[in-house]
Amino acid sequence: MTTIQKIIPLNRVEGDLEIHLAVDRDNVVTMAKSVGTMYRGIENLMKGRGPLDSLVITPRICGICTTAHLNCAAKALDMAYEVSIPADAHRLRNATLMVEQLQNDLRHLMLLFMPDFTRPHYADHPLYEEALARYRPLKGQSTVETIQETKKLVEIIAILGGQWPHSSFMVPGGVVSVPSVSDIVQCRHILSNFRKWYEKRVLGCNLDRWRAVKTWDQLQGWLDEKPAHRNSELGFFIRFCRSAGLDSLGCGHDRFISAGGVDQPTSDGGIRPLFPAGIFTATGTMPLDPHKISEDVSHAYFKQTPAHPFESRTLADPYTEDGRKYSWAKAPRYDGKPAETGPLADLLMADIPLFVAWVRANGASVFIRELARMVRPTLILPAVEQCVAHMAHANAQFYTDTRKRPSAKSFGIITAPRGILGHWVVIEDGKIANYQVITPTAWNASPRDADGVAGPWEQAVLGTTVRNPNDPVEVEQIIRSFDPCLVCTVHAIRAY
Amino acid sequence: MPKTLYWIQGGSCGGDTWSLMNSDTPDPVELFEAFDIDVLWHHALSSTSATDLTLLNQRILAGDQHLDILCLEGSVINGPDGTGRFDMLPDGPRKDFIYKLAQQAQFVLAVGTCASFGGIGAGSETMAGGLQFNQWEMGGLLGQTYRSKAGHPVINLPGCPCHCDVVVGTLSVLAADGVVKLGHYNTPTDWYGVMVHQGCTRNEYHEYRVEEKQFGERGCLFFYMGCHGPLVTGPCNKALWNRRSSKTRVGVPCFGCTRPDFPQQYPFFETRNIEGIPIELPDGVSRAHYMAYKGMAAAAAPKRLMERKTNI
Repeated sequence: MTTIQKIIPLNRVEGDLEIHLAVDRDNVVTMAKSVGTMYRGIENLMKGRGPLDSLVITPRICGICTTAHLNCAAKALDMAYEVSIPADAHRLRNATLMVEQLQNDLRHLMLLFMPDFTRPHYADHPLYEEALARYRPLKGQSTVETIQETKKLVEIIAILGGQWPHSSFMVPGGVVSVPSVSDIVQCRHILSNFRKWYEKRVLGCNLDRWRAVKTWDQLQGWLDEKPAHRNSELGFFIRFCRSAGLDSLGCGHDRFISAGGVDQPTSDGGIRPLFPAGIFTATGTMPLDPHKISEDVSHAYFKQTPAHPFESRTLADPYTEDGRKYSWAKAPRYDGKPAETGPLADLLMADIPLFVAWVRANGASVFIRELARMVRPTLILPAVEQCVAHMAHANAQFYTDTRKRPSAKSFGIITAPRGILGHWVVIEDGKIANYQVITPTAWNASPRDADGVAGPWEQAVLGTTVRNPNDPVEVEQIIRSFDPCLVCTVHAIRAY
Repeated sequence: MPKTLYWIQGGSCGGDTWSLMNSDTPDPVELFEAFDIDVLWHHALSSTSATDLTLLNQRILAGDQHLDILCLEGSVINGPDGTGRFDMLPDGPRKDFIYKLAQQAQFVLAVGTCASFGGIGAGSETMAGGLQFNQWEMGGLLGQTYRSKAGHPVINLPGCPCHCDVVVGTLSVLAADGVVKLGHYNTPTDWYGVMVHQGCTRNEYHEYRVEEKQFGERGCLFFYMGCHGPLVTGPCNKALWNRRSSKTRVGVPCFGCTRPDFPQQYPFFETRNIEGIPIELPDGVSRAHYMAYKGMAAAAAPKRLMERKTNI
């Protein structure tokens, strides 16, 4: 027998995901299929509903990036009703969106990714005992602290938007809430406490010290500088990953897509993104052109419809006899090709030197994806602080009146915790005629396309040598480094 | 003897898990420790390998592993055509596995509206249903006559998501061998005996019929903005969300997410009405008396409220 076939159901991902693998006699993965095993049909629930219903239904796509779906839906309706929202409404939306990113980055790392270091696979690793003390599920010190600190952070979304998860405070024209100055002061205190924890425990240094690390030599210098650096979550993570070889595991297509940073209001009344949206490859970057986004269903359990999300439909085909089809996730493509999304794509588009240099030299890996997630807060946190600070003035305006339009065709694209998120809506006779959602995980988890090109994490798994084909921890870690959210893969799958 | 808990996701967004993470006194870690709850499996918290999970599942189904509390988060996906093929485990439809697990459990909790009543996806191609209800109708996956091993129907904890205090409270009572008193739709009266509206800081607007007609205006959201606060039960304004606020307090209408028909088929953010009067009036009121009261209340409305001087 030259190959064995394995089906690996994955936990600690949001939702339902199986990886179908073929492994040869040298334990090298020769074939990988990413199989979304669930269809929730949420897009089709939207049809015939009032346009504002998207603000209630689509956040329920995902329980951990619910504010991102809300923001995306609201942005699509802003465009449909041709309204530009007040600067303070931008700030409030941005603050809540980025707070959600922050909690997600840390919860993913400490609750979903790091526990792999506590599995028997690593029992002989010199840092194993320390990993157990930090990340044992429900017991590890870092695990417990993360649960405590992140729940305080999302209080900001409750203060500004009523509750987390699942509120609907963003509407076309702005937001419904009118926070008082004292509400905003509370948010600032919460942020300040979070920053203290993040700097002390996660980074081991303040944000400025970390941002001064621009090369890989400087990173080594930072690590050697003092025990606080080596023993922080970041320091421990770097030491563990490197000694376990995770910095050379899981290279994908190395083509990245990012929706860019939040739209920040400028003093002259304009809007400037925190960092640009675009496509990053080793040879350079290109700005994002939404018209180049399409979805392929050649290998997904759906009937063929036009490829662009304005025209495409979600027609489940559960009894298909087409043997090529294997997943409930569609395959999003940019200019016909797959692309990887997430914090790493963001930091590449933000032109953070450490990451650009690494990816150009070595390609992506489990290590660099998770490192990006761990330090993305150094970019996001100051931006949240700024949003909240600028909201605290007496004449703040959070909503502008809008006129509903009976028909429209519009979209919203934003950066959700796991990467680029898009909602496309067609309104006819005052009702939703078509609603299509492309989630970050759909990009990353996508199955093959009509050209037979594998999706990003299928590609990343290919060629991996696994120590134990019956418990291929390496493969699981590669997939988890994309922070899979299959609940989000709406047509689609469930995997966080 | 620790109580064992198995948490499974069906057609779910994961929101009930992340809502549970909001819990403060106790937080989930403290809860499991203080009440000696052994989490056999939770999709987001366990590090069990796929092989070990398969073995665990086999032991539970064979009766070799005692199971005290089974929690389902998310709906039971029955589609297409009752086959369950829209939600598959490696060896068959998930709905079949949930059914078998429920036969072994001392207590079964439906965490959230989807698990209780079907919720998102009910009445659609996915045929999402609840454990013992399909929206208003009793039945669901387990059937009207189902009783868990300890002799109870499914305990429904609706809400989208379910408030963390409800999950933590119910688990605490069960872990201490207490009794969970059930009311309408087999929901615990402790948390579902109160209207969502109770405790809303906008109640004074409601009293005097000072109503919001446009977002951000501040006022009661019941007459025009589609608020279900006086219509449905839930602890949102009693327990608050994230210890801070609630949707209605900040001006988001209650969407009635604890009710078996959530998400409603008529539009959100507007109140269905006949000549300006809501079709659905607060639970249990007499229409004629309510109208007379509202008319007088509006006439008596204090100026400070009309001018929103309260800043709420």
